[in-house]
Amino acid sequence: MTGKGALIDQMGVALVAVLGVAAFFVFPEDLGFMTRIAATALYVLSLDLILGYGGIPSMGQAALFGAGAYAAGIASIRLVQDPIVLLGIGGVVGGLVALVTGTLILRARGLTLLMLTIAVGEIVREVVNKARDYTGGSDGLGGVSAAPVFGTFRFDMYGRTGYLFALTVLVIGILVARRIVRSPFGLACRGVKEDPLRVVALGGRPRRYLIVMYGISGVFAGVAGAVTAVTSGIVGLDSVSFSWSAEALVMLVLGGAGRLCGAIIGTVGFMTIHHILSAADPFRWMLVIGAMLVAIVLFVPGGIVAVLDPAIARFRKRAEAKR
Amino acid sequence: MTRNLRKALLGAVFTVALGMGTADAGTIKVGVIGPMSGPFALSGLTFKEGVEVYQAQHGKTVGGDTIEFIYKDLDAANPAQSKALAQELIVKDKVAFLAGFYFTPDALAVAPLIDEAKIPAVIFNAATSAITEKSPFFVRTSFTLWQNTVPLANYVASGGSKTVVTAVSDYGPGIDAETAFKATFEKAGGKIAESIRMPVAATDFAAFMQRIKDSNADALFAFLPAGPTAVTFVKQFSDNGLRQKMKFFSTGDLVMEPDLPALGEPALGLVTSFHYSAAHKSAANQAFLAKHKEMFGNNDKVTFTTVDAYDGAHVIYKMVEATKGKSDGVKQIAAIKGMKWESPRGPVMIDPDSRHLVQNVYLRTLEKVDGKYQNTEVTIVADQPDFGYKR
Amino acid sequence: METVFGIVVDGIAYGMILFIISVGLSVTLGLMRVVNLAHSAFAMIGGYTASYAIQSLGFGYAGALILAIVVTVLISLPLERLLYRRLYGVENELPQVLLTIGLAFMVVATMNIIFGPTLKQIPLPELLSGPVSLGPKIISAHRIFVIGMGVATILGLWALLEKTDFGIRLRAAVDDPKMAAALGIKTETLYAATFALGSGLAALGGVLGAELLPLEPYYAIRYIVILLAVVAVGGAGSILGSVAASLALGILDTGAKYLFPNFGDFFFYGALVLILFRWPNGFFDKRAA
Repeated sequence: MTGKGALIDQMGVALVAVLGVAAFFVFPEDLGFMTRIAATALYVLSLDLILGYGGIPSMGQAALFGAGAYAAGIASIRLVQDPIVLLGIGGVVGGLVALVTGTLILRARGLTLLMLTIAVGEIVREVVNKARDYTGGSDGLGGVSAAPVFGTFRFDMYGRTGYLFALTVLVIGILVARRIVRSPFGLACRGVKEDPLRVVALGGRPRRYLIVMYGISGVFAGVAGAVTAVTSGIVGLDSVSFSWSAEALVMLVLGGAGRLCGAIIGTVGFMTIHHILSAADPFRWMLVIGAMLVAIVLFVPGGIVAVLDPAIARFRKRAEAKR
Repeated sequence: MTRNLRKALLGAVFTVALGMGTADAGTIKVGVIGPMSGPFALSGLTFKEGVEVYQAQHGKTVGGDTIEFIYKDLDAANPAQSKALAQELIVKDKVAFLAGFYFTPDALAVAPLIDEAKIPAVIFNAATSAITEKSPFFVRTSFTLWQNTVPLANYVASGGSKTVVTAVSDYGPGIDAETAFKATFEKAGGKIAESIRMPVAATDFAAFMQRIKDSNADALFAFLPAGPTAVTFVKQFSDNGLRQKMKFFSTGDLVMEPDLPALGEPALGLVTSFHYSAAHKSAANQAFLAKHKEMFGNNDKVTFTTVDAYDGAHVIYKMVEATKGKSDGVKQIAAIKGMKWESPRGPVMIDPDSRHLVQNVYLRTLEKVDGKYQNTEVTIVADQPDFGYKR
Repeated sequence: METVFGIVVDGIAYGMILFIISVGLSVTLGLMRVVNLAHSAFAMIGGYTASYAIQSLGFGYAGALILAIVVTVLISLPLERLLYRRLYGVENELPQVLLTIGLAFMVVATMNIIFGPTLKQIPLPELLSGPVSLGPKIISAHRIFVIGMGVATILGLWALLEKTDFGIRLRAAVDDPKMAAALGIKTETLYAATFALGSGLAALGGVLGAELLPLEPYYAIRYIVILLAVVAVGGAGSILGSVAASLALGILDTGAKYLFPNFGDFFFYGALVLILFRWPNGFFDKRAA
């Protein structure tokens, strides 16, 4: 986090908040879609914590997201309706699933680890599919309803409350994530990613760091799932599917892994392109996204953020010169 | 053109000013959600063709208002996406009706939305009985598994089969089919040897065929959603030598007309029950087929979903007529309760209670007539309601 | 007994398809160290080409099969040259995963734009359709053909690796790439030839397996998971490992579906996790093959 990259991260949180609120007024008819972007951004952020800061390429992140989403959904039908409590439930369940599975799978490396994350994802999906009495199986878990936020703001069809709620959670999420990655613990994880042997030599325990980071990532993913459940009122099997895991990976790398704002930029970019192109024909969308992925790996390994950085640095230089 | 545009814009302004859904702005929009791409794209296409044939026969306007159909793609069962699309259609496109819905979960997902927006949703396919219980704004012009399975189970029982093994896709309609068959067949004195539920996404049925074989039942009853996997299932039944061993009955979902050339010989003689066969003999069906052929060149793709969408368009037209184009879901639904008409499938009536069709169910045999495979209707079981409603 | 026999025969047929498609993936991973998520896309290209050749160009089954392999190899070679070559030996898997997912997306999109988004059929010739009695088990003739082709592929690969010059150089390069290069083995040509072989076999598997893994619009993405499972279990770069893993997973999948029709996937992936715990590098580490 040094040099020219730092500025975009410092401004990032404020920028997300300002642009998010501006979007509320500019696109009043697209609030449902923008709510999904905000919740997805938090989900992709959770993957960034484990992949960008821990170096673990996971293709099973949807298991954590889905666990949170279903937990919040089931709780809202059977226990409590308060949306903030529901987010807490989603986060706790997501975190627990991550801790348990992380303890099991994080001893592996490379392809085996990749395969294990996929397998865990598929097992969670199958459990959700079979627990029809609780989850609705492939019919989806409908009828998820949260009480008004703070007892005042009802979740309406136009998605006004839903959007502002999701946006607030996202902004808080970014702030918390920033604290974590800059803490000594976050730096230790980064050390594991770059050179595990050195961490051992310095007396650290790489695997334990990674498991804790995986758990934290699970909390973020679970909260993101809960936000989706609360704002959309429904949870489907797609929220625990392999393709949802793969999409998170794609969005993250598109934006730039290892940078918190990379997750946000990647999500907004991916979902907007998806929304515009797939309305016409889903395959044209796939072609464009596929080409973008190939281009990013070949030409800009840092993702969209890496393209933006120089421009922002120039902007700052000019601003300083004026002063 | 410009006048229409101005009229539309003015209408839009008034609509916003009055804070209403859709007023008589000259265009009434219908949002159709269905699989326009992916493995079930054919079904989405038949929705579109059915609607277009209806519009070609009856004009695109009702009392001066143009009815415009907007299609949204939902390529697989995905309730969350279905709800998001419906929300967008209501909030952004300001549709006065929702329609389509191939899979049950997709229809169930929009129930809270249509309740809040008070707009009718006409289901073109999704066939789980419970759907119309979830909102008073649902109307269905297709069929339910209970409706088609009960007459079949009685037929199987009277045909001398004592034990039956059931194999269904593991989701809403499949479980409906299994329950309906079991209840009816056991009541008629038969015995269910085994009930197998198969994953909806299964593509290879070898293991299930072995299990069906080992059940040693007299007959198999199967349900899978119409489409590619159903074709594979019928083929593998034949490939595993089960044809010589037991009888095979199913609902018509497994033998939809466009799949028949690919199914071919292994499916000959298969007895199915269904509410529509393209080979139905009636003046209404002849007129429908002729118009379809004129528009699309041939009738190869005509199947139950085409007619379900065709009748769905009819119901929407009648609802627009009932309120003279005004958006009033409550009144519109009230107007079509008990409505009767002659559909290409035969005489139908909307049950005021379940908002689902009371219609004939036909027992058909798969035959080759003039070099083409078809489902020939053999027995008519008249005026069947949805036996599964509020069960 | 008859039931067990039936499951094993069906499982072997399924396993043979998995083997034919995935062996190329295993070799690319063992030799070039590339996690190629676009590998199933080559099977898709092969299957779609064969379907089009039979249904629209009037090819016979054998002709279409050969055409599919040739077309797929011709498509894969420039891709190897322009894209994959840049990834060889890269330590981090992430860029590989992403580039190849991107490629898989592009193949899926292109296939659907060209051929339309419907399920593709590959009609079988008279000889291969219909049931055949195999002892107590009645099985489709096509599956027997598939098993035969699988055995032929295994024998062919074995002969290629053990008896030819190419095979000796290939094994040397897998075992110790640096040493091989020092000994004057042209790794570039060797890699390109291996890649072409792998994608050609994927095309063969795509065509033969159309009855078990239907040629649907999202084929390349849908089946990559099972292929990766085979490679992870078999051990990267090991032919013998691929055979063992394919057959084991094929029989496991069929058996799980039979015993627990409602929980098939659950047991399949559960067993996969257990296997990977016991053999974190697969049944056969490549150096043991």
